[in-house]
Amino acid sequence: MAFNLLKQSANKVIRNAVVPSTTSATRGLFIGAVRLAKEDKGLEKVYTKKESLLLDTNNVIGKTSDTSVQNYIEVENKVDLSSVTGVPEEHVKTRLVKISKATKNVMQSGTDNTHKWVMEFDNRERWENPLMGWTSTGDPLSNMKIEFVERADAINFCEKNGWKWYVEAEQNSRPIRSKSYANNFSWNKRTRTSTK
Amino acid sequence: MAAREASKCATKIVRPLLSSDKSEAKKRVLNLYKTYYRQIPLMLFDRHLPVTKEECQIKLKEEFLKNKHITDVRVIDMLVIKGQLLLQEIVTKWAQDCHVMSLFKDTVEPKPNDFLSKFVNNNDSQ
Repeated sequence: MAFNLLKQSANKVIRNAVVPSTTSATRGLFIGAVRLAKEDKGLEKVYTKKESLLLDTNNVIGKTSDTSVQNYIEVENKVDLSSVTGVPEEHVKTRLVKISKATKNVMQSGTDNTHKWVMEFDNRERWENPLMGWTSTGDPLSNMKIEFVERADAINFCEKNGWKWYVEAEQNSRPIRSKSYANNFSWNKRTRTSTK
Repeated sequence: MAAREASKCATKIVRPLLSSDKSEAKKRVLNLYKTYYRQIPLMLFDRHLPVTKEECQIKLKEEFLKNKHITDVRVIDMLVIKGQLLLQEIVTKWAQDCHVMSLFKDTVEPKPNDFLSKFVNNNDSQ
């Protein structure tokens, strides 16, 4: 008998939770859940502690959410989103990010893809599969490379996500030296060496 | 260059998520805390969890205090929204017992730190 009563109350709780009767969804869900259970006599034994009066969320907060969103607020310029991004704490606090210019493909002479800034994570443990020899890693951020136009963008992104970062020094390009076959036979430069 | 200019000033004007100031955000957090607190006995009645009410209350406080260093109103609002979602999942039983218990104990074994246990746990099979 008691069990049936409880089951009914649980159903009520869920119904009230899913379809909130009031305008505020949160109010319908949370306050409804607690209050309905308390009203139900089956749960009276479980819920013996006397409660304080539950207030309407709008009264507690003082404003409805619609009016607040109209305004603008002043916040600190530095934002740390690491608590809401869902990235595990281990991968926020223990990771180091390298920010560097993208490297040229060594197999090709074109330099078109080297103008961006790339951010990369430090290497974690890798191991070789004993049967097939494949390389494995347990690191979810291992092959993640993110490209940015500006160096400051990459730094801002790291700071926003709470990662420690360092910038690898930019390599200065070599001075352009004019290459000409004819220079080898220049009359005023001793480029020709005697074989005798 | 624009970013460098922006970093000079300490504050900026943005659209809020829910709250227009810190006191309002604080009220939202307290409201969420209270609803969670009141939900604990009901949750324990509905589920067969190997924890007591007191342990749940301690854990609840711990989870809230984890984020006590946060000052940004928008981040606080987002955390409140996420907390409401989790509470909804717990009430409606979309979150199963194992999901609730994952708040209490990490399912991953901690990695060894000292030399000998590292050597024993070595996964290099060759």
